[in-house]
Amino acid sequence: MLKSFISFVLLLALNPMFANAGTNTKPLKVGMELQYPPFEMSTKDGTPSGISVDLAKALGKYLGRKVIIQNIAWDGLIPSLKTKKIDIIISSMTITDKRKKVIDFSIPYAQSDLAILTNPTSGVKSVKDLNQKGKVVAVKKGTTGNIYAIEHLKKAKLLILDKESSAVLEVIQKRADAFIYDQLTIYRDWKNHKNTTVALLKPITKKPGYWGIALRQNEPELKAKINAFIKKAKSDGTFDRLAYKYLKDIKKTFIKLNIPFFF
Amino acid sequence: MFLGTEYNFNWKSIYEYKQKFIDGFFTTIYISFFSLILSFFIGLFFAYGQNSKIILLRFFSRFYIETIRGTPLLVQILIFFYVIAANLGLDNRYVAGVIILSIFSGAYISEIIRAAIFSIPQEQYETGLSLGFTTFQTYKYIIFPQAYKRIVPPLTGQFASIIKDSSLLSIISVNEFTMNAQEVNSYTFSTLESYIPLAIGYLILTYPISLWSRRLEKRLKD
Repeated sequence: MLKSFISFVLLLALNPMFANAGTNTKPLKVGMELQYPPFEMSTKDGTPSGISVDLAKALGKYLGRKVIIQNIAWDGLIPSLKTKKIDIIISSMTITDKRKKVIDFSIPYAQSDLAILTNPTSGVKSVKDLNQKGKVVAVKKGTTGNIYAIEHLKKAKLLILDKESSAVLEVIQKRADAFIYDQLTIYRDWKNHKNTTVALLKPITKKPGYWGIALRQNEPELKAKINAFIKKAKSDGTFDRLAYKYLKDIKKTFIKLNIPFFF
Repeated sequence: MFLGTEYNFNWKSIYEYKQKFIDGFFTTIYISFFSLILSFFIGLFFAYGQNSKIILLRFFSRFYIETIRGTPLLVQILIFFYVIAANLGLDNRYVAGVIILSIFSGAYISEIIRAAIFSIPQEQYETGLSLGFTTFQTYKYIIFPQAYKRIVPPLTGQFASIIKDSSLLSIISVNEFTMNAQEVNSYTFSTLESYIPLAIGYLILTYPISLWSRRLEKRLKD
């Protein structure tokens, strides 16, 4: 019993040593939450697909490493990166100062803004109406919406939920006055519940949020390679091809609504 | 063991949020305390209901216990809060949380009570009868004093379970202990630093119950 325990502890302690032996040939583990179509989603048989998945594969090709996609819940992504369960995060993650304290980001590859989903009876017309006593704002835990609400909506009551679907339900059932998330999600949620919700798609922040590929701090070599890859993908039309493949209809809507597009 | 995880502990960032942990800890105590009381009465009622002469009540009790014990608490919380409570206009998520937790735990307590009463041998009932006791007197003076000893140990265990199960209320955004720890984790990205105090906090709550239960068992044996 004791012997097996000691060997178990030794195995745990030595594990990273073995893992670090061959750095370049080992597969690139990419973490993402497959709950944000069409960026991160899975097909009916469960294989990951979407823009971020294609992007990860293109990055793997560029680096000459095999890519393993790992589906991890949103608020587990950064801890997984920190504990070396994954190597990078490509999950439509916005670069924020708070996140920069614990992880590193590549140069931005896309942009997105926050928007508001509200219900017809709440009387919310803009984000100013939300920063008031008695207003209830739903957010998804750990998202930019959550960070924004804590910093800018101090008077409102926050409802922090695990799932986007719960947040939408709270708004529909009028338990929350608004749900703050990115424009694409808000637009899609509104489309699914046209009678019970109102989408305010005008950006609520002055500057858009920029998405980056997240990696651990102090890995300049990998960071330089990823940055070079993003620059190349921007110039050789990789992003345009992905946008055409996945976002054709959404792009039209965004242009019609005068919302800046992702790429 | 922590060496192997290659984890850089950052307790400072967690310390800034200590008030969140304290608030959550007390919310968990409140919720558990009220659920404890309510679930005991629910359990008592359905234990009676299962042995009732009224067939409808008996069936309903059976149905309640089988449904609650056969479905996950997580699903029950979601259905109760977003379907039943929403239709009843019950908007306070703390009250809703206490009620669903009590309904869940009540099914188990009901089974504990029923099993204890059921385990009393038939002769004991006959003794009561032969002494000329009424049914009420038989239960009061003969059955319950014996069943009590068999109820208390599993019941204290069930109470410890309520405390732990209350953590699931975080999915409907009840700001209890687990919810607040998760929140701190999502702000500071310090997973282990948030969850280790959480584990210790729950232990502080459940360990006295377990101690008390053991002392009670000893006393009941003598």
